[in-house]
Amino acid sequence: MRERIILTWLLIAAIPAPAQWFKLTTPGIPRTADGRPNLSAPAPRGPDGKPVLSGIWQMNGKYLQDIASDLKPGEVPYQPWAEQLFNSRRNGAAGKNDPAARCIPGMPKLDALPYPFKIIESPGMVMMLFEGFTTFRQIFTDGRELPKDPNPAWFGYSTGKWEGDDWVVNTIGIRAETWLDNAGRPHSDALRLIERFQRRDFGHMDILLTIDDPKAYTKPWRVKEDLRLIPDTELLEYVCNENNKDYEHLTGK
Amino acid sequence: MHTLRMIAWAALWSGAASAQWLTNKTPNVPRTADGKPNMTAPAPKLPDGKPDLSGIWNPNPKYVRDIAVDLKPGDVPMQPWAEATFKERLSGSRSSEEPDANCLPQGVPKLDTAPAPWKLVQLPDQVVILYEAFTQWRQIFMDGRKLPDDPNPTWLGYSVGRWDGNTLVVESSGFNGKAWLDQVGHPTTEKLRVTEKYRRKDFGHLEIEIIIDDPGAYTKPWTVTEGPTLLVDSELLEFVCSENEQDIRHMVTEK
Repeated sequence: MRERIILTWLLIAAIPAPAQWFKLTTPGIPRTADGRPNLSAPAPRGPDGKPVLSGIWQMNGKYLQDIASDLKPGEVPYQPWAEQLFNSRRNGAAGKNDPAARCIPGMPKLDALPYPFKIIESPGMVMMLFEGFTTFRQIFTDGRELPKDPNPAWFGYSTGKWEGDDWVVNTIGIRAETWLDNAGRPHSDALRLIERFQRRDFGHMDILLTIDDPKAYTKPWRVKEDLRLIPDTELLEYVCNENNKDYEHLTGK
Repeated sequence: MHTLRMIAWAALWSGAASAQWLTNKTPNVPRTADGKPNMTAPAPKLPDGKPDLSGIWNPNPKYVRDIAVDLKPGDVPMQPWAEATFKERLSGSRSSEEPDANCLPQGVPKLDTAPAPWKLVQLPDQVVILYEAFTQWRQIFMDGRKLPDDPNPTWLGYSVGRWDGNTLVVESSGFNGKAWLDQVGHPTTEKLRVTEKYRRKDFGHLEIEIIIDDPGAYTKPWTVTEGPTLLVDSELLEFVCSENEQDIRHMVTEK
């Protein structure tokens, strides 16, 4: 996986997705008179009254390239070293140093891949199954606390809880090597991510993402990423290590 | 990951597995008077009477080395080309071609036996298996859909499941024919169909009967049976094959 392919995929993904191979009819989807999914119908709610988040979702692809694409210049509160490192990665200057180029996915870029992911809510744990890298996150909802001394992991360690209609996911223990976006914004081992999942209506969800990393940024900063529901389809298999030809053409060390 | 490390892992995993780092108490585990999990208690059932197969399962690692380890020599009905390929791989002279040595997916059913635990999550309309090995997932659709007539060939195939009494019967097709069934190299083709019959014998023991039906490589279907054990009070760890992979350059493919 690498930038150029991602950019290609962005172009493809900008076309409507009904041409997927698995022609399925997702049950429980409100439809208009002509049988099309009514994506502006109200968000479904579970027996507990909370919004149901389960479904196949696809992120607006622009945040993968630039997580701060909706912010004004100067709104990302870098620590000096972080800004210097970010500048050194500009224009693909260090694309080889992005772990994703070596088929190692990580948070928070995993959420922003231009391939769909499926949220499955199960008792005590919510799964996110990613088409990209055919990998998964587990988000524990059984009331456990975040570990005090987590094993550093590319995806970190995540717990989720409801605050009103927002599902709030806290993640720590993320390996410092992951990039926040393809543009190369760095973070440190002090990174804490807070994702607020907000399902606006049947077909649309936002993730309000707080990046709280006092070693790399002078204060927490926030971006809003938007997703759309992909009905009547299924995840495909994506194997990054199969025929990855781009790594050797990237620059960096 | 690759054969060498697989063997190392297999050796590690044959030790007691209780030393995992994440010690969260698994809820609803029957325990003996001294607080230890009672692995021979009856298998749990769901309100609809079906067995609950959910849990973290730890495969017996001997099958990743040789899926036919319990069979007698000659019990695997290989076609001549498959036998020739198998013998060549068995000699170790093709070891760098093993897919998971190249961080490619193990495929089904090898993934069932990879020496790292996997978590089965049983839901009403599907079963999801989360594999620690390479941090992969697999979906088994239980909503009554059929296997596709013309599936997209993949490493993990396309899987549908149904209940036959207390046995979960999973049928998979749509494989890409690149996977090895085990490290010794029993081959597969795109004609592979795998049937896995999951039966929870008691609280701590699962039995998987695996039927390999691949008329491209074998003269008739053949069956093996594996037995993962439940791993309680633990959690999956992260396993990223591409990270610090050092072994493949030491492996060989003789031309």
